[in-house]
Amino acid sequence: MSQYMLLLYEDPSGWQKMSPEEMQKAIEKYSAWSKKPFVMNGKRLAEEPGRVVRPHDGKPRATDGPYSETKEILGGFYTIEAANYDEAVERSLDHPHLKFGGTIEVRHLHGT
Amino acid sequence: MSAAAETGALLEHLFRHQSGRITAHLTRLLGPEHLDTAEEAVQEAMLRALQTWPYQGMPENAAAWLFRVAHNSAIDGVRRNQVAGQKRDAVVAELTRSTALAPGDPDFEEQLRDDELRMIFMCCHPEISLDARVALSLKTVSGFSVREIARAFLADDEAIAQRLVRAKRQIRSHHLALDMPLGPELQQRLGAVMEVIYFQFNEGYAAHEGEELIRQDLCLEALRLGRLLASSSIAVPRVHALVAVMALQAARLPARTDDAGDLILLEDQDRSRWDQRLIALGFRHFDRSIAGDEVSEYHVQAAIAATHARGAVDWPTVLDLYDQLLAMNGSPVVALNRAVAVAKVRGPAEALLAIEPLATDPKLRGYYLLLAVRGHLLLELEQRAEAAGCFRAALQCRCSEPERRFLRRKLAECEPR
Repeated sequence: MSQYMLLLYEDPSGWQKMSPEEMQKAIEKYSAWSKKPFVMNGKRLAEEPGRVVRPHDGKPRATDGPYSETKEILGGFYTIEAANYDEAVERSLDHPHLKFGGTIEVRHLHGT
Repeated sequence: MSAAAETGALLEHLFRHQSGRITAHLTRLLGPEHLDTAEEAVQEAMLRALQTWPYQGMPENAAAWLFRVAHNSAIDGVRRNQVAGQKRDAVVAELTRSTALAPGDPDFEEQLRDDELRMIFMCCHPEISLDARVALSLKTVSGFSVREIARAFLADDEAIAQRLVRAKRQIRSHHLALDMPLGPELQQRLGAVMEVIYFQFNEGYAAHEGEELIRQDLCLEALRLGRLLASSSIAVPRVHALVAVMALQAARLPARTDDAGDLILLEDQDRSRWDQRLIALGFRHFDRSIAGDEVSEYHVQAAIAATHARGAVDWPTVLDLYDQLLAMNGSPVVALNRAVAVAKVRGPAEALLAIEPLATDPKLRGYYLLLAVRGHLLLELEQRAEAAGCFRAALQCRCSEPERRFLRRKLAECEPR
């Protein structure tokens, strides 16, 4: 079995208008998915803008960011097990994130 | 691991209910003029849960988690929005102290319940206009979003949002407090609160248009608020009568439509689909409502609902009750319902006479049910052409798709044999 990373991108403004009831239903759907046997772990990225370190005139410098051009930000990730890319994609197809307007990037962890 | 963490399912409506009680609690600590800050803090806590629980799993005690995070968020809000001016430090200290309290502790639970009651009573303050009371109570006490309220009342989001803004302005400009009124004012306000709860129930129950699910939620939420009132020290017999009507009627919700979503009339309903738990609850409160001498409209409504719930319906008794109700409340809708009982006891011709004056009542103009009842009575009298005319006219009125299908079925029955 290989390991794949599912990177979950989201548009945070889309969640602001949800009612408590809708939020609860969403949480239940996400939680049910994350309990599937092939899910190894998952982590949420904290919300405050992170820092980007890049060379600036030959010297590394940290700036607030990343401020992407698009509205979507990387919100969190799961590591799952799958035999190959096809299966990894197959396993993310029913992730509730997609129903809430999010995007999932599927990447193979090299050497697993 | 908690049950929630294992199954991934939370207690039904947990967020909605917690939203109401935490908002009420924070509003008492912050002052009603800062209701917005309280609401934002609660929304923030729920948003945080939505963002983190899917990855980290659910906390052991979800309610306590939301309570704590909302408090911390309120403290941030107080600092950020310059809430409370000179009293800010005191408010922050009070919030911090409250954060340490644990929901679940019986004494504290009682305090939270009192906060919720105070909030309902403030939403129904006479300084707040009638239409705004319902919207405000649904938003703050019942945790409905603007969009959900708009969907339930077939209004647009903007209209509901405006109503809420107006209500909050009234709270601020009249310096409304989160206190229970005293003496005669308490009884008066209790009346207003019960009206709002019953209105909310009826809006959910009357199947006009709109989404079935949200309407059912409206009914069950009204029932919850009624029970909250009934469990408090201010519960007079008519509060129990109100809970009895709502529970006995709500018990029929699962039997009102068939698998295809078509309407089933009360007399044709499969009684085994009635919610026995709600019927038992209704009768418990009905028994408690007859303590004392007071006979309110809720008492009579409850008695009618109880007669239906008992099985073989005693129509002469139902008609007597409707006569009483009509004497207390001359609403044309009550008169229309009474006509159905008249038909059962004295025949369709008498019932037709009874609804004759309603045809010109402006409140019932364009009301499909008046035409449908008239059509039904005419059909019983074998006046098929006239009956068909009524059902055709009813189909032109505002009604839901299941109601429309029902009317078409009745129209087909009017074909000459």
